[in-house]
Amino acid sequence: MAQILQYLANGLVFSSIIILGSIGLSLVYSIADFANFAHGDTMTLGAYGALVAFGVFGGLGGTVLGLPIGFFIALAVGMALAAVVAVLTHILVYKPLDTDSIGLLITSIGVAFVYRAVLQASFGTDFLQYDIRRSGPIPVLLDTLDVAVTQRDVAIIVSAAVLVVALHLLLQRTTLGRKMRATADNPDLARVSGIRTDRVILVMWVVGSALAAAGGVFLALYSQLDPRIGFNILLVVFAAVILGGIGSVYGAMLGGLLIGMLHELTPLLGDIGLPISNAYAPAVAFVIMVAVLLVRPRGIAGDMT
Amino acid sequence: MSTLDVGGYSPREKGVAGLLGALAALLLLAVITGFLAPAYLLYLVGLSAMYMLLSMGLNVQWGYGGMINFSVAAFFGLGAYGTALLTASGSPISGGVSPIVALFGGLGLAAVLAVIIGYPTLKLRDDYLAIASLGLAEVVRIFILNESQWTAGSAGLTGIPLFFSDWPVLGDLTYPYVFNVGGTSLFYMSQSVVTSALNVVLVTVIVAAVYLFLRRIHQSPWGRVLRTIRTDEDLAETLGKNTFAFKMQAFVIGSLIMALAGVFYSHLVLFVSPQDLQPITTFYVWVAVILGGTGSDRGAMLGGFTIVAIQQGTRFMTDTGALPIGAAPLRLMLVGLLIIFIVRLRPEGILPPERELIWPDSLGGGRNE
Repeated sequence: MAQILQYLANGLVFSSIIILGSIGLSLVYSIADFANFAHGDTMTLGAYGALVAFGVFGGLGGTVLGLPIGFFIALAVGMALAAVVAVLTHILVYKPLDTDSIGLLITSIGVAFVYRAVLQASFGTDFLQYDIRRSGPIPVLLDTLDVAVTQRDVAIIVSAAVLVVALHLLLQRTTLGRKMRATADNPDLARVSGIRTDRVILVMWVVGSALAAAGGVFLALYSQLDPRIGFNILLVVFAAVILGGIGSVYGAMLGGLLIGMLHELTPLLGDIGLPISNAYAPAVAFVIMVAVLLVRPRGIAGDMT
Repeated sequence: MSTLDVGGYSPREKGVAGLLGALAALLLLAVITGFLAPAYLLYLVGLSAMYMLLSMGLNVQWGYGGMINFSVAAFFGLGAYGTALLTASGSPISGGVSPIVALFGGLGLAAVLAVIIGYPTLKLRDDYLAIASLGLAEVVRIFILNESQWTAGSAGLTGIPLFFSDWPVLGDLTYPYVFNVGGTSLFYMSQSVVTSALNVVLVTVIVAAVYLFLRRIHQSPWGRVLRTIRTDEDLAETLGKNTFAFKMQAFVIGSLIMALAGVFYSHLVLFVSPQDLQPITTFYVWVAVILGGTGSDRGAMLGGFTIVAIQQGTRFMTDTGALPIGAAPLRLMLVGLLIIFIVRLRPEGILPPERELIWPDSLGGGRNE
């Protein structure tokens, strides 16, 4: 039982990361209308941006949730960097293209390679880490529930929750959010209604990439940082988006939660005697993704925006 | 004379041919001056031909049928692993099987996987097919990486024999091999040159056979239906064609060609590992196809050649220390920029299909007038 609780706790952390990644992917899928294979590398980009910024601001005093204040500044820098790069990519690469969604999809693979090449050339392929001391599990939880959760895990979950709630408020409570929802729902109708959809698309890139970058930073904080982390997790993020229903932000959140949980619950299959090891966690997510595509291509959350 | 001179070569085709000719001359010069080992040049020729095969396989799926298959690496890998597991001395399963028999083992594995992957995914929308096939290819890679009791895992398989190792004459050559004409020895060749040359012969035969086969089916009624499906699947459906069956057939044929490339790769490099199944292999082949020209088999050949030029050229350039960037990121950068610029500037590729679509008889008829 404690083992299952432990898996669920791990799942919550991993889900937080997947959710941050899947929101942006889903936004691009619905508003720019293509499967963005560069999204994973946008996550990596944000993580490296934060790494560099942490080198500058890491020394700032004070801690929040066991992480230095400097880390949160670095996180913001990483998010801003990813947003700027994504907007530039949109303006320089995607926008001038006269092609269909398949052409954009193929182009995004090229974009992903360019991002990764730059990171690999600047930082090498070695595993890197944020220079923050790891602390042990929180004693209270370990004693009462027998679950090992570190302060760092809690920080990731709480930060992700804050970002998700902020996005929710943006979408539901502001005019900009209403414009974004309208554009995602029906771009032509939005345009004739007087919404400047090209600006909304820019905002969408900013929001999606900044959240992706946050996901990348937390992924690097959770495990390690190398130029491939983003691309390696991209398919799991796709699985979450498809499970939730492409184009639905709330579906992406739900899909991210489920896929993240299932990913971390995979060891359970081995525990009950099936010959499926931990290494198959992504494979389980991919198989679920294909099954969803076949049975319910609109995803579990359907058309909710 | 007809005004439509479809029998001649366009300036662009002449340009490409001239460029390739110049490059070939340069490489020959490098061999003669001792700058490049002959065996290495032959190895590069074999490798280019292997990428040509992969590109032609993808061309059947994407070029003819419009299917976005992102699992090229899986079929290539299964072909390579199929033959390696049967023939290699380091194989955890059997080993020691004749390469000719193992060839069919590799192809069989790929055909089974093609049906398993194709059956659920070919009904999907284009972009879903891309994502799903990439995911399933990763499942195959993860399987090979982790089931080390069958596949030797991340260590990879060593001890793969040469393709001709158990052939009557070719397997019994002594080295250095001396060419005798009337009792006088003309020149001799080292083992590496002979084996590389044999590999080139083998792959040339395979590429030629596949090329002729593809040209034949492309111009057949079957090929016409497939082109209709690519243009408008609903139309093909309305005309009473079972589009799923046609797509499935094209998917399996393409996958078998990719597996054939994998089999050849095993006997060329004599080592396979899960690294060969990385998604980057898939995207190399995609670059080759869209660069050469989607649906064009001559284009696929040009694309395959370009990929090897990028792979080896980046290695050469960084070896000389002229660049402040490693070979791997440089390669990634070039491939990425190539993709972006092709889609932007020449979405139809350098050698788009032209004459391939015309039945040869109709050309001959025009000339006789």
